[in-house]
Amino acid sequence: MNILAPLARSDEVAPLCDAGAHEFYFGLNPPGWEEAFGQASVHRRSVRSAGVPGLDDLRRIVRRAGGRPVFATLNAPSYPAGAVPRLVEFGRTLVEDEGVAALIVAELELLLALADAGLAPRVHVSSLATCRNPGAAAFYRDLGVARVILPRHMTLAEIDETAIPGLEWEVFALNDGCAFEEGTCSTTHAFRPYCIDDRVGRAPGRLDERYAFWKWTLDNCGSQTSRGYTLGPCGLCALPRLARAGVASLKVVGREAPLERKVASVRLASIALGLAARGATREDIRDAVVGERGAPELCEGAHLCYYPDAWTAEPVQGAQPAAAPVRDARASGAPRAGCAPPAGPPADRVDARPVAVVRRTATQGGSC
Amino acid sequence: MLPDGPAVALYFGSEFCEDRLPDLDEASAFCAVARDRGWEPTLLTPLVSPEGLRAVDQLAGALGAAGFRPAVVFNDWGVLGLLRERHAALPRRAGRLVNRSLRDPRAYRDAPGGTATHDVSRHARMRGMLRRLGVAALETDADLEGGYLGEGRGSDGTGLSRALHLPYTYAASGRGCPLKAALYGDEGGFAKAFADRCPAPCRGKPLPVHRPDSALPHWRGGNTIFYELPHEAARSWLVHADRVVVHGSASP
Repeated sequence: MNILAPLARSDEVAPLCDAGAHEFYFGLNPPGWEEAFGQASVHRRSVRSAGVPGLDDLRRIVRRAGGRPVFATLNAPSYPAGAVPRLVEFGRTLVEDEGVAALIVAELELLLALADAGLAPRVHVSSLATCRNPGAAAFYRDLGVARVILPRHMTLAEIDETAIPGLEWEVFALNDGCAFEEGTCSTTHAFRPYCIDDRVGRAPGRLDERYAFWKWTLDNCGSQTSRGYTLGPCGLCALPRLARAGVASLKVVGREAPLERKVASVRLASIALGLAARGATREDIRDAVVGERGAPELCEGAHLCYYPDAWTAEPVQGAQPAAAPVRDARASGAPRAGCAPPAGPPADRVDARPVAVVRRTATQGGSC
Repeated sequence: MLPDGPAVALYFGSEFCEDRLPDLDEASAFCAVARDRGWEPTLLTPLVSPEGLRAVDQLAGALGAAGFRPAVVFNDWGVLGLLRERHAALPRRAGRLVNRSLRDPRAYRDAPGGTATHDVSRHARMRGMLRRLGVAALETDADLEGGYLGEGRGSDGTGLSRALHLPYTYAASGRGCPLKAALYGDEGGFAKAFADRCPAPCRGKPLPVHRPDSALPHWRGGNTIFYELPHEAARSWLVHADRVVVHGSASP
């Protein structure tokens, strides 16, 4: 299992490698995009806050990643007329000339055009494509893509059934939930996240309070801890189950986030992955995560769980290795040039310092 | 605003929630009404979980066994595969969620007529793929980009028929349904209940929703937020449609 980390600049590569990242993803507009297509989004994030500054910095990213795969997001749900040929040309440049390992794609028209260009084996299907069952998975497998990123709103039992052979599987592991399924939200964050102002009905009531609480947890509780950890959606306790389902990659969300948050998130995922690789139970992982991050009460109620059925669908196994052993990708392969082997905290070390929760200053919200 | 034309089809089912799929009795009743009137029974299906995929399979099989051949609107590639492999006699129609174009209601504040260019070069590959997969028609509600429906069926019989859903456009949908959550205690519902079957308390009860950022009437139909499309925008879409699907209420 790999930890997939978000990137916005080349100087983030080394600290994220040190924290335990095995793969990276980023967004970058093609040269001349704004002149041709204005503010149309290429990768669902602000170019300024979440985009790699340019091709020169991308080359540094790839070099510094030292052979760790780097993926490009071309994951807008739709593009304006004339954009798809430009994106195919750009995608080909990225994978054939710039060392990008794969393209993360949501729009079917773009996916089909990339397939026509012979690039399907370098495509990862975005979570926005809402692949939620084995039949949908077979559809994408038949198109020849390499990987499918499952949407957030799935249970572990559904992942078990959907993750068919012949594809790599990626799931959400940390941060930034969505109240609506992002693939079936037809609004844009350019106006501010639509869900923030969503109420159940016209008159506020008790149900609105519960809905607001859920949305607050999805928005990382509007907080982070004094150690820099995000109090957002988390799937780390489910790692043993996800490994058995054949999941290959764990997405840490937040290209636009400060580097400190990215590093802390990857470090937390690395701790959990290390434990899972040694056969830890969900309880062991939860305790380690809470010990490092803090805020145990949010875990006690499973309020932050991406996959709450991690706690309901399987009996406690004791400290047994998973049936399909979790493999921490750090354990394999030689160190690569330019990016030292991860030197983050030992995977089972729990920091016992007191943890405070601090309010975040800006609403982040959103996904990948 | 609607053009003259005969009623040709009766739609039932759900494009947004697998718990709103009809059981066999209800679906058969719709099919019987449609048959009696000479209309095409048309079963709407949503994005589905593995369990939902099995439910669609069973329903389509049972309707077939009962002698009905409804058209099926799919929004999930797994459902399309199911139709091709196991229910090939049923006409296939691509549903609203196959079109992932922007529909944000807030965009109409400054452009009441919408911003759709209706450039049919958009989605041309996808339409070709759908034709090759035996799909007969495209359906959508109005988006802000246009072009999705293409040019329709040509005089030579090629191409895809086009249907436009009015007057409600979907804005956002998901599995974290607040009305379903109301069935649970304070600690339940939402993400903890994604896969639980729901008795559909939303049935027949669209809720008006107030939004501070849009003057358009908004409705909650269970897990989905809809808004009423400005007439000016609807007019710009009608000329691109061969069929109008008129919804009596905002229903998922």
